[in-house]
Amino acid sequence: MAVDAQPVPRTRSIRRPRFRGKNVTTAALIAPPLLWLVVFFAIPVVLVGLLSVGGIVLFPGDEVWTLSSWKSFLDLDSVYMGLFWKSIKMSLIVSAICVVIAYPIAYFLALGTSKHKYTLLLLIIVPFFTSFLLRVAAWKFILGDQGLINSFFYSTGLRADEHPIPQLLYSQFTVMLVLGYVWIPFVALPIFVSLENLDRRLLEAASDLGASRWQAFRRVTLPLSLPGVVAAFVFIFIPTIGEYVTPSLVGGNKGFMFGNAIQDLFGPGFDWTTGAVLSMFLFGAVLFFTLIFARFLSMRQLST
Amino acid sequence: MRSDLDRILEKKLGRGQFLKLAAAAGGTGILAGCGASSGESDNTDTGAAGATETRPSIDQEKGDLKVFEWAGYELPTYIGVKAYAKKYPKPKYTFLTSDDQALSKVRAGFEPEVVHPCIGYVQDWVNLDVVEPFDTSLMKNVKDLNPAMLEGGQVDGKQYFIPADWGFSSPLYRSDKVDTSEDTWALFYDEKYKGKISWWDSLENLLVAGYVNGVDDPWNMDDGELEDMKKFLISKKHVVRNFWASQTDLDADFKAGNIWIAYAWAGSYVAAKDAGHEVTYMEPKEGRLSWVCGFVLIKDSPNYHHAHAYVDEWSSKFSAEWIEKNYAYGHANTTADLSKLDPGFVEVLHLRDPSALQEPKAHMDRYIARRKEYNAAWDEVKAA
Repeated sequence: MAVDAQPVPRTRSIRRPRFRGKNVTTAALIAPPLLWLVVFFAIPVVLVGLLSVGGIVLFPGDEVWTLSSWKSFLDLDSVYMGLFWKSIKMSLIVSAICVVIAYPIAYFLALGTSKHKYTLLLLIIVPFFTSFLLRVAAWKFILGDQGLINSFFYSTGLRADEHPIPQLLYSQFTVMLVLGYVWIPFVALPIFVSLENLDRRLLEAASDLGASRWQAFRRVTLPLSLPGVVAAFVFIFIPTIGEYVTPSLVGGNKGFMFGNAIQDLFGPGFDWTTGAVLSMFLFGAVLFFTLIFARFLSMRQLST
Repeated sequence: MRSDLDRILEKKLGRGQFLKLAAAAGGTGILAGCGASSGESDNTDTGAAGATETRPSIDQEKGDLKVFEWAGYELPTYIGVKAYAKKYPKPKYTFLTSDDQALSKVRAGFEPEVVHPCIGYVQDWVNLDVVEPFDTSLMKNVKDLNPAMLEGGQVDGKQYFIPADWGFSSPLYRSDKVDTSEDTWALFYDEKYKGKISWWDSLENLLVAGYVNGVDDPWNMDDGELEDMKKFLISKKHVVRNFWASQTDLDADFKAGNIWIAYAWAGSYVAAKDAGHEVTYMEPKEGRLSWVCGFVLIKDSPNYHHAHAYVDEWSSKFSAEWIEKNYAYGHANTTADLSKLDPGFVEVLHLRDPSALQEPKAHMDRYIARRKEYNAAWDEVKAA
C-alpha cells in the first residue's frame, strides 16, 4: 500500500513549481474570462439560489427565508418532479437517436470522401443560417393535416381525405423529430473531429492482421472515436433537458416539459421562488450528469 | 374618493403645509390622491389624484416620455401616436411581451413612465407600489370611455388604470366542419372533434371550466373547486390537439386546417375569414370572456403631464376608430364612428352595444387573487 501511494505525491511535487512559475501574465490572461464567469455565471447562480430559499423575494407577500418550495418540489408526487423525469427521458431518447444517425454522417465525411469534405460539412450547417422559428414553421407545413406528407397520402389513396395521420404534428414524435433535425449537425461535428484524427495506419495494421472491415470498425475505429461520441451525446443531452421552445411549439397536448414549467413559474405564475427551485435543481442535475460524462470521457483522450 | 386618513392629515396640517409635504413626499401611498385639492377634482368618482398642482407644468417638463408598450402600438401611422407627436416630442418606447414580464421588469428596476398592462393586473401594479392614480381632470377624453371599464380600473376608488383596447375571448369554429346544436364553451370538450381543438395556453381554461360546470365564482375558486376544475380539464385534455401560445400560431393552424375549434380573440376570427374559411365566433350561453388593456402611470414621472396627454390622445375617438379598423380590437371610447367599419365585425364585437360587455353576457377580465394556485393547477393539467 505504502509503495503504491508513493508516486502520487511525487507527481504533485513536480507539477506545483510549474504553476508557481507563472506570474503576472497568467493572472492577466485569466482575469477577463474569470471576471466574465463571475459576473455572468457565478453571481446569477447565487442570486437564483437565494431566490429559491426566499433570500431574495420579488413580490410583496412572498415568504422570506423558507425551504417550503424545496420541500414541496422534492416531494415524490410533485408534478414538477414528474416533469423532470419526462424531460430526462425525452432528452435521453433524442440524444441517443441523434448520435446513431449522426455517426454515419460523420464517418462518411471524415473517412469516405476526401475532396469535398469541408464543403459538405458546410452544407450540413447551411439550414442554420435561417431562423429557428422559420424552420419550425416549415416543419408544420410539411407535417400539417393538409401538409406535404398527408397530402401525398390523400392523393395516393393510402389514407382517406380528412383522415390525416394525427401523430405527425403536435406530438412527442414531432418534438423528437424537430429536436433531432436541429441537433444532428452539431452532434456530427465532435464525432467528425475524432474520426478525422484517427490514425489511418491502425486500420491498415488491422487489415494486415486479417481483420475484416467490420472487425476493424468494431475493434479499432469505434473505440477510438468513442470520446467524440460521448462528447456528442453530452452536447445534445445537456441543452435538451431544459428545452422548452420546441415542445411548446410542436408538442401539442403532451408538449409540457420541465423547461416550460420553469418558464410558467417565472412568467404568468408569479412564483419566482418555485421557479428558482426548479432552475437550481436542473442546474444541479446537469452538473451531476456532466461530471459523470466527464469521468467517462477521460479528459486526456478528448484533447487528442 | 379620498380616504379618511387623507382628510385628517390635511385638516391637521393645514393646506399650505400639507401641499409642501405632499410635494416633498412626491406622492407616496398615503398622499397620492389628496394633493389635487383644488375642489373641482375632489368630487370625481374616478378618483382624480396625483399632486398635480405641485408638479412642474407641461412646458417645464422635458417631454422625453418613456412608454412601456405592446409592439404595434408605437407605429407612427397610428393616429393616437401621430396626434401626440404633433404636439410633443416623440415618446421613447420599450416593448412588453406579457403582463407578467412587464411587472417583473419594472419590479427589477426598469423605470418607464406609462405602461400598457391589462385590467386583471392593475391590482398587482398597485400591490407593487410603483403606480399612482391618474388625475382624470387633466384628460378631456376620459368622459367618453366605457364606464364599466373605468370602474374596473379603480383600486380603492382611485383611477389607477385608464382603459383603452379591449376584445372578447370566445370559441371560434369552422362552421363548415363543426356541427353545434347549442352555443356553449363545452364544445372545447367535444369528443367528436378530438384532435381538432386548441385551447389557449393560459390559466383562463380553469375559468372556462368553472363557467361550464356552474361554479359560483370562477375567478375566486376555493381549493376544492379548483381541484375539481383541474381534474375536469385533465379528463378532457385528450381531445385537445395543442395549447396555442401566440395568435400567429393559432391563425396559421386555422388557415392550414389543423385546428377547427379554438379559444380565440376577434383578430383570429378576422384572420380565419380572410383566409377564406367559413367561421363562427360563438356567443356561448355561459357568456364570453373579455379582456381590457389600458394604461397605468408610474409614480413620480418627471413627465407627469406628458403622460396624461399621451393617454388622453390614446383615449380619443379617432384613436378608437383607428384601433378598431386596423387591429380588429374594441376600444374603450364609445363615441367612435362605426360607419367606416365592416358591419360584420361591428356586429361580432357588439361595438354598438356597450352593454354587451356586462354580466352575464360577458365576463370582464379581473384580478385573480389566487393566481399562484390557479397557475399551479393549470401546470398540472398541462403536465398530466
